[in-house]
Amino acid sequence: MSQSWVGTSLPLKENVRLVAGRGRFIDDLGRPGMLHAAMLRSPHAHARILCIDIERAAALPGVTAVLTGADAARLSGPIRPLIPTTAAVPDYCLAVDRVRYVGEPVAAVAAVDRAVAEDALELIRVEYDPLPAVVDPEEALKPGAPLLYPELGTNVVWHDTLSYGDVDGAMARAHGVLRERFTIQRYASTPLETFGAMAAYDPGTDAFEFWTNDQRPGLTISILAASLGVPQSRIRLSCPDIGGAFGNKRRPAYLLICALLARMSGRPVKWIEDRIENLTALMHACNGVMDVELAYGADGTLLALSVRDISDEGKNLLTPTQHNLIKLGNIANGYRIPAIRYEAWSVLTTKCPSGANRGIGKPFMCFAVERSMAMLARKLGLDPAELRLRNYVTAAEMPYTTPPGAQYDSGDYPATLRLALERFGYAGWRVEQSRARQEGRLLGIGIATSIEPAGTNLASYELITGRRTVSGSAEAAMVRMEPDGNVRVAIGDPASGQGYETVIAQIVADELGLTPEAVAVARGFDSATTPWLYLSGNYSNKFSVTDVGAIVGAARRVADKLRRLAAHRLEIDPADLELRGGAAVVRGAPDRLVTFAELARTAYADVLGLPSGEEPGLEARHAYQNPLAAPVDADRRVRSQLVFSNAAHCCLVEVHPRTGVVTILKYLVVHDCGRELNPLIVEGMVHGSTVHGIGAALLEEFRYDEQGQLLTSTFMDYLKPTATDMPTIEVERLEHPSPFTPLGAKGVGEGGAIPGPAAVANAVEDALAPFGVTIRELPITPERVWRWIAPDQGSPKRRPAVAPGS
Amino acid sequence: MIPPAERLTVRLTVNGRVVEREIAARRSLADFLREDLGLTGTHVGCEHGVCGACTVLLDGRSARSCLLFAVQLDGATVTTIEGLTPRDGLSPLQQAFCDMHAMQCGFCTPGMIVATTELLENNPAPSEGEIREALGGNLCMCTGYVNIVRAVVQATAASPGTAREMS
Repeated sequence: MSQSWVGTSLPLKENVRLVAGRGRFIDDLGRPGMLHAAMLRSPHAHARILCIDIERAAALPGVTAVLTGADAARLSGPIRPLIPTTAAVPDYCLAVDRVRYVGEPVAAVAAVDRAVAEDALELIRVEYDPLPAVVDPEEALKPGAPLLYPELGTNVVWHDTLSYGDVDGAMARAHGVLRERFTIQRYASTPLETFGAMAAYDPGTDAFEFWTNDQRPGLTISILAASLGVPQSRIRLSCPDIGGAFGNKRRPAYLLICALLARMSGRPVKWIEDRIENLTALMHACNGVMDVELAYGADGTLLALSVRDISDEGKNLLTPTQHNLIKLGNIANGYRIPAIRYEAWSVLTTKCPSGANRGIGKPFMCFAVERSMAMLARKLGLDPAELRLRNYVTAAEMPYTTPPGAQYDSGDYPATLRLALERFGYAGWRVEQSRARQEGRLLGIGIATSIEPAGTNLASYELITGRRTVSGSAEAAMVRMEPDGNVRVAIGDPASGQGYETVIAQIVADELGLTPEAVAVARGFDSATTPWLYLSGNYSNKFSVTDVGAIVGAARRVADKLRRLAAHRLEIDPADLELRGGAAVVRGAPDRLVTFAELARTAYADVLGLPSGEEPGLEARHAYQNPLAAPVDADRRVRSQLVFSNAAHCCLVEVHPRTGVVTILKYLVVHDCGRELNPLIVEGMVHGSTVHGIGAALLEEFRYDEQGQLLTSTFMDYLKPTATDMPTIEVERLEHPSPFTPLGAKGVGEGGAIPGPAAVANAVEDALAPFGVTIRELPITPERVWRWIAPDQGSPKRRPAVAPGS
Repeated sequence: MIPPAERLTVRLTVNGRVVEREIAARRSLADFLREDLGLTGTHVGCEHGVCGACTVLLDGRSARSCLLFAVQLDGATVTTIEGLTPRDGLSPLQQAFCDMHAMQCGFCTPGMIVATTELLENNPAPSEGEIREALGGNLCMCTGYVNIVRAVVQATAASPGTAREMS
């Protein structure tokens, strides 16, 4: 291999079009005769639908089709859930006889333009019989709580206790047990581009075509086909450029609504979610409650962890329990904890469906563990860094398997924290903090460290269903050298900002001895041309774990064939050839070569020149399954996720004692995601994910009232981080390659979203130490801070000084 | 009051070209640019004036095209990302965004370029604080703003005589 492109900070190919506004996003697409859809949504959190009158809407000039829940139930089948409920509760694309959250779609209109479609919505009359809302997940658990699905007899989708090791014994023998309760709010990554879809129906072939920014096309196609009652071969789905996704962009119901409207009207139908619909009804990370019991020895050694975790799913029938399962897989964080118990509830409430959101469950799990570590350090009079260093899984122990079965593959967790402390200037800031306190200034230092898994093994759902229906972690790709010697690549994972067109070109360039300019990576996804699997999609940090394997595997098949064709031409052994500079070159005889253009011409055009038995063409497909994915074992242990990056965050804040405003003065991340395929992309994701974590810590909350009305449904009241609020995130890196991924890379997409909330909370609590504040909830708004310190509105100088390290 | 669906004729200049169209009174400038003129580089992210993705220059000043009706703009001059992009290649500011990897999904980027263009016209050598302030009305969900600020700093440093220390 002449040059390694992998590992270089190659500027991104796709940026050249994006910076000029030449991306092609879903709302930039259109079709001749296309109609625009709009959806009527429930104003109630919970109500029976008594009747829907669409007559006036249907009669409005410009309206072509109106669809109600009753129509949907007649024209399509229910949406197939990933986790079957105990009794069948058919979930159609529109509410049929009952609404279960504010914003649930009850009817849809297709019209000549969006404005006319919205006019028509105003003419639809729906009579509701309101039912009691159930907003608090703990209330939803209680007997007598209002039931979303009376036929289930409960709001609980899953409740179980998983126990690994002698938790009770460890608790009994422990020097002490820290007992704390933490909650997390609902929030979401809210990609700047909202969700959208366009559907067309061809009555001649009874086939549907979809264009959408859905980030999990493989799974979505199977759901669409089942609900529409057509074979999957008659569904074509493509994804254009996707304007951010972060897990949020998945809602097969919306694609079904477009499909049904398209079939009714005989014209293509496009629907673009507006921001209020996005915030109200697409997807929130689960809010929840976690009770933590952490047993420790006198020196701070962790002995056992018992967690009781309630995940509020809202009306999520598609993917409930997802947050629970992922928390279980990451419960130990980076620590050696010999005994672990996890009691989980996945509970339905009358709120927006929960779903995947950058980190799924891990930000809350990390918040609970890292907040507990900060409290334990204070209790033991230890520096919080020292307590962590005493408990990390060490580099020498890798690969290390946690009690629930997660395997930490590589990394040096103590070194990561030590480097962070050094680069942050931890010791110096402790001195500065003491000095500032003397002046009445509230400075705080927060540390949080995390693991960041990559790749999901769907077999872990067997823990819930008791049987295996889906499993593994895999992706598929195609590499094709075109007849002119240039290369085209397609993969079943549509990028949503991860720079695939560049990093994949780097990988393939290395495998084939080309430059990245010679490798064109297809934008997005097209089920008719892209190789794909049920598991295909842009989720779960899976690029390094599966996608790279698929790309490398396909590229190596093409490389092998190039060597065979060249060997035939030069009459030597293929093993004596290397691929470099766009040619197959004889080792040790650089002037003996055949260019790829010549080989490609043979492969496609002069096929009589091929060696006997060799197929024409230079195209290969490869589906790669990461070998770490395995079924659940007899002790209910499973690798629910596959390889683990890690990070240490250090945060310096100042809290204004009168307004409660938290200002981040300094934020440093040291992270290790194994081999960095393109450090420019990696660093950008660390910045962005960290700011997601800070947003969750300080700003973002979907707040509901007792009637289940969402109070934060615009960007005026659901606050996102802005350039003026955020610090410059400083990033340092370590590189411990994974032995279990094809190029040693690990996940980096979720990154800072996982420890960010804990790091900020630890810093604020440290700043508020003179007030004795304990932070158990987020976000840390000025109002909350003010209430915490309100009883002591005077100067904190009057409070006893607190020792550094608290 | 004009009925929302009533159509009015307006004449305005978009990216240097005079455009005369009959437009529904309720059509936003963003929809007019995207749907009627095919200028899809202007993105719509919130439709309530917070996210800044739809930012254009209106008579040289940044404006939210989702909060303006196209029919308000008779006689106005509008510049979109397409109008800020050279026929060949990229502007120095766009090049700086590429060099510093100041975007990920790219959905906010046109609005960022437009907002920064206004900033640099008024203040060719802004401090980091001034850059952050000027971009405070443009949300980016991907980058955490770090590389965007770096790109603007680089763009200003690239113009001779305008380099200034970051605050």
